[in-house]
Order: sequence, then structure tokens, then C-alpha cells
Amino acid sequence: MSLSKFVFIAVSLGLYGHAEEERITYDGSNKRDPIFIAQGKKLIYCLDEKDDLIRAVSLDLSDPESEPVPLFDDDRSHQTELAYSPDERFVSFSECVSNLTGKLVIRDLGANKDAIIDHSGRGAYRTPVFTVDGKRVIYAFAEKGPMQLWSVDLEGKDKIQLTETEGLTHWPSFTPNGEHMVFANSRENNYEIYIRDIEVGEERRLTENRIMDIRPRVSPDGSKICFVSTRDGNYEIYVMNIDGSDVVRITDNEERDDFPSWHPDGNRIVYVSERDGQKDIFLVDIPKPVKVTVR
Amino acid sequence: MIGVGNFKAADCSGVGRRSFLKTAAAIPFTLGSSNQVMEAAQAAQKSGKVKSVILLWLWGGPSHIDTFDPKPDAPMEYRGPFGTIPTKTPGMHFTELMPLMASRSDKYTMIRSMVTTSNDHPTAGTIGLTGFNENAGPVQPNFGSIIAKDQVSTEALPSFFYVGRGIPRDLPRRIEGYGGGTLGKAYDPFLVRADEHGEVSIPQLDLLKGITPKRIQDRQRLLQQLDNAERRLESAGIDEWHRTHQSAYGLLADSKARQAFDLTQESEKVRSRYGQTTFGQGCLLARRLAEARVPYIQVNWSEYVETFSPNCDFGWDTHIFNFELLQDRHCPILDRAYSALIDDLSDRGMLDDTLLIAMGEFGRTPKISNRAAREHHKDCYFSIWAGGGIEPGRVIGESDAKAEHPITRPITPLQVGTTIAELCGIGARKRAEMKVLDGGSVIHELI
Repeated sequence: MSLSKFVFIAVSLGLYGHAEEERITYDGSNKRDPIFIAQGKKLIYCLDEKDDLIRAVSLDLSDPESEPVPLFDDDRSHQTELAYSPDERFVSFSECVSNLTGKLVIRDLGANKDAIIDHSGRGAYRTPVFTVDGKRVIYAFAEKGPMQLWSVDLEGKDKIQLTETEGLTHWPSFTPNGEHMVFANSRENNYEIYIRDIEVGEERRLTENRIMDIRPRVSPDGSKICFVSTRDGNYEIYVMNIDGSDVVRITDNEERDDFPSWHPDGNRIVYVSERDGQKDIFLVDIPKPVKVTVR
Repeated sequence: MIGVGNFKAADCSGVGRRSFLKTAAAIPFTLGSSNQVMEAAQAAQKSGKVKSVILLWLWGGPSHIDTFDPKPDAPMEYRGPFGTIPTKTPGMHFTELMPLMASRSDKYTMIRSMVTTSNDHPTAGTIGLTGFNENAGPVQPNFGSIIAKDQVSTEALPSFFYVGRGIPRDLPRRIEGYGGGTLGKAYDPFLVRADEHGEVSIPQLDLLKGITPKRIQDRQRLLQQLDNAERRLESAGIDEWHRTHQSAYGLLADSKARQAFDLTQESEKVRSRYGQTTFGQGCLLARRLAEARVPYIQVNWSEYVETFSPNCDFGWDTHIFNFELLQDRHCPILDRAYSALIDDLSDRGMLDDTLLIAMGEFGRTPKISNRAAREHHKDCYFSIWAGGGIEPGRVIGESDAKAEHPITRPITPLQVGTTIAELCGIGARKRAEMKVLDGGSVIHELI
């Protein structure tokens, strides 16, 4: 039996192993956007520090006694959706700088310098991500209506519009070879996940549900995509193959599971889970197919 | 735990929560002249007159088309990115952002034909809370102030509470219609707040330094401390001190009154149902205040309308990131807190005599803006009604195919206030005697 056929059977029968999970935070405050840096030794996420401030924090996972510490000195502006360049010299994030005005920060941590991006409009920047070569930042921005994907270099220059489509486009993510970009778009009445061949420009739809499939992220080895869907009644984390096949539900909680991101080892996913009204960060193993004999 | 001024009073003792329940004094129920009003009054009497009103004030203008009035067949530039889900009410769909409320729609009735007359936050806020434009003459009283004047709270508790961070405002100014208006400042709301952990504080008492939880048990010493504080403040020229803090004195001096603020008396299960958010815990506090027979409790979603601005507490004014913030923050919080509250009221048998309303000051433009968001829209929005004799599980009013305008009879904030008053036993004659809600009519479809 081929591997693909075996996997199909396993999925059809729901024969995936139990997903082991580890709880990382315990304070229950509102959180979002967890990602790993430093080969998985540090966790970056955004936290409601006060009832009027979302702040990026860093948690040292090598020290069990460590507490989250603010990532930046600025304690007046909301900071969300952080992304790091492959060499972790640059960080990009969405920041609220004044009334109803956002900004996309591309910060050179080595030189302690921010790039300035020039767009018309009031700054509805979202979901930045670095290209695989670390030379550009892709982000979502609404300049003339629909939220589109744009690209700039690390100095915020050489701005290019990557998408020109109806609906809202968010959450770009690249395969490790840089040949494909995965994202979500709402042109089919609700958010669905698409993959684009960057060289050819062709797009293919990977999901098809009457309700949302969002926040796709390509695995470190490029073979899978984790994402969030409400197809089973509430927000749960799923994994599918890069071609959209073999969808496996990873979480099964009564409340919301959201904001998934891959651990660098590619075997685990970090996410925010709401349990008993409290939001904390968990790390879950990707369950392995259980070997069964089909007679 | 109760936070009073600059300390937390975790160890207050006193009579248990159940023993704190009192039956409100019977107040004559004055009827209006119309058949609808008569029917409404009769319906309210049949199920028991409303003894407490909880208004969930969704400040900033929540988007109706992205929540409770979706239009999946509207053109792309209107309908937004969210799928729709069925509710328990036949024919009524919500967006997928409100699954918990959708599964409970048999417990409340939705109005989809609200209209107001201003697209300015403070102005529309005053209209939404008083029924009248603040520029048309003296500022009229908040609906809560009207109820507070008519119905005296039991024990030491004030009759009109604001639960939240402060008086609703936008960055330039606060709303005028927050309080007593023509009825006087004696009917202003009393402000309390619950943080995300359920710790309740009374901002008016922040100036009372040096009072410890132990001292609060000693009433004589407490009053002495308070008198000293009052003298200090009066000498400092704070002339509002006496009026606004009399109720606070009572709260501190009366152990039974303090019980209403102690969310630790709730089980972890109950507290968690509301969610670890300021709005969620505020809704739980509102339920406790209603249980203590406070006549009117307004839970403010936020102090500021601004949704994504420094130092502002995430109001519903989603000029940018409308879809993102609704999905990631606002709707999950509201969906959970409202569902917990209505379940809780229902489970405790409180819905018959507690009226629960949720609404904002206006809706948002159905046509998506250049910033992929939505602007202010006074011409169509929603309100949600439960308990207090309201027949649940229905939709009242209908908007057009793009959710831009009602195609049925528009319903106004003045009608909202008049209906609240009517259900609380303040009929047309009494309203005329109080010189409030002039010209208002009851939303007879509700009852």
C-alpha cells in the first residue's frame, strides 16, 4: 500500500494518534500571534498587558522560571503579528501609532533602525512575513478597498503590489524553496486558502467550506500547512498537505483554538487556546497516523 | 475580591448572597392610553414587572452586517468575508462570528430596523442613551436616571450603575447624555469596574488612602475616616465629593451591599463562563447587581469608541481593521459574555423580571471603505432584547438587501427608552409627570 493511500485510510477512519500537548502559559490573559525564534528556545507572542494595550513579549523557554518580558521599550502602541527574518536580524510587525493609524514596522535589530513604508491611506497594515531569502517583507494593506498583498525591501522601498483581487487577502506564507506562496482570501464569500506558484503566477484553491479557513502557515519542510477553520462548529487547528489533501484536525476543544504556528522541528504547533474563558499558549504534537491492517 | 480605592478587600464578611435578595417594593403600574401600551403593560404585569434593567452598551458602533444582519447575497463590496450560520430562530442567520449567540436566539428577540439621527459618536451616544439630541435643549436624562428616580434601590446600593472604565467618550469629548440631565446630578450613574480577573474597584474612592480591609469592618472608624476625607477634599475645592460619594459611603459601611461586588462568591465555573475579559466580568458583576435588585445597570463595552488607538480600550469604532478586530477580539468577547449572561439569568429564574438589552449608538456602513473597513452608519443597526416580558425567539424589523436602510417601520432610541420605562412601570402619565421621554412610544412588537 502506498503511503498516500495509507494516509487516506487513516484519515477516513480517524486513525491518528492522540496529540500530546504542553501548556506554556498560565495567566489566562488575552494572547495572540505566538511564534518561535532562536531555534525554538524563545517564544514571542502578543499579550493584553492592560485593557488598552497589546504588547509584544518574549518568553525564554530554556528557563522554566522565566516570565514574559516586553520585547520593545515602547509601552504606548499596540504591537501585533510579529515576523522575523530567517537570520533573525530583522523583525516586522503591525503597530498602532496614533488614532486609527497603523504602521508596518521593519526593524533592523542590529542597527536599531526602522524602515519607513510609504502608502496612502491610514495604515491598515497586517500580517507581515519575510521572504525565504530574507530580502523582502510581504504584508497585507488596504489602499483602495480590498486588502491586497504587497512587497517591499528591507528599507521599505521598491514597493510592489502582489495581488489584485476581490475580497480581503491575508496571511501570506512561503514554502522553504520560495517557489510557492500560501494565503487566504475571501473572494468566494468567505475566507479560503489558496496557493500561488510565484514563477508562473497560477493560483489554486486548497480549501472549500461555507465558513472560514484562515491563518495558513507552511511547515518548515514545506510539506504541510497548518491553519484554522470553523468547519466543525468552532475555531480549531488543522493540518493539511501542501496540495490541500489529507486534512487532519489537530485540536478538539469546546472553546477557541487559534493563531497556530510551527515549531522549528516541524513536528509541533504552538497555538492559543481558550479554556474556561482563559487564553493560554499550548504546544501540541502533530499526531502520527496509527498503523492499521486493512484486510 | 473587592478593590475599593487603593486596596483589595478580599476578606469582607457578611450576609450571604441569597440572603441579600430583597423583593422590590410594589410600585403602581401606570398605563398609557393606547391599546398597544395597555397590552404591553399587561404582558409585563403578567410575567412580573421588570425589577432590573441591564443595558450592554456596545460603544463605538458595532457593525450590524458583520454580526447579526448579514447579507451574503449582497455585492462583494458590501458583504464582507464572513460566512453565515443558522440560528435557533427560523429564517434568521448570523455571521459565523457569533456561534454561541446563534445557538441561543430562542432566548432573545432581535430588532434589525434601528435608526438614529447622528453619525457623530458623542451625539449619537446621547441620543442612544436618552432618546434626544444633546443640542436640542437641556440634556435629557439617561434612561437609567429615569428608572433610578422612580425606583429606589434596596439597601445601600445606588439605583443606577455604570459598569466599566469611565463615562463613554471619544478622544475629543465625553457624551453629554451619560447621567441625570434634566433630572439632576443626583441621578447620575455610580461607576464601578471589574477587571479581567473579576476584581471590582470603585474609582470614586481612589482618593481614600489608608483605609484597610480590616478597618472596613469597623463601621464607626470607617465613617470617621470618610468624614476626614470629605473635609480634606472639600477644603481642596472638590465640590462634587459629597454627592457622588454618599453612595460609596453606604457601600463601604454596609457589608451586605459589599457582597454584590464580590465576584469571588461565584464559582470558578460561573466566572469562567463569562470569560477572562473586562466586559465578561463586567457582565457577571451586572448580574450580581441585578440579583441585588439594582434597578438599572449599564455595562459599557469600553470607555473610548476608538478601536485601535493608543490608550483607548478597544471600542467598536472599526474604521480600520474592522474585519480583523471583529474576528479576533470583539465578537468572541461579546458572543461569550452575552451567552453566559443570558444563560445565567435564565438558569436563576431572573429573566422574568430582568430586562436585558444590547445595542450601540449606530451601525456601520454596509459598503466597505477604501481601508477595507466600515464607517459610521446611522440609518440601520440592531438592538437585542431579552427577559422582562419580551417574547423571545423573534426578529423584529427588516433591512434592505444591502443592510443600508430598514424596509419596515424604523425603530428609534426614544422608543427604546420609552419601552424600557413602560416595562419598569413608568407609564405615560408618570413619564409626563417626570417630564421625560416626551413623544416616545412603546415598541409594541416586542411585547
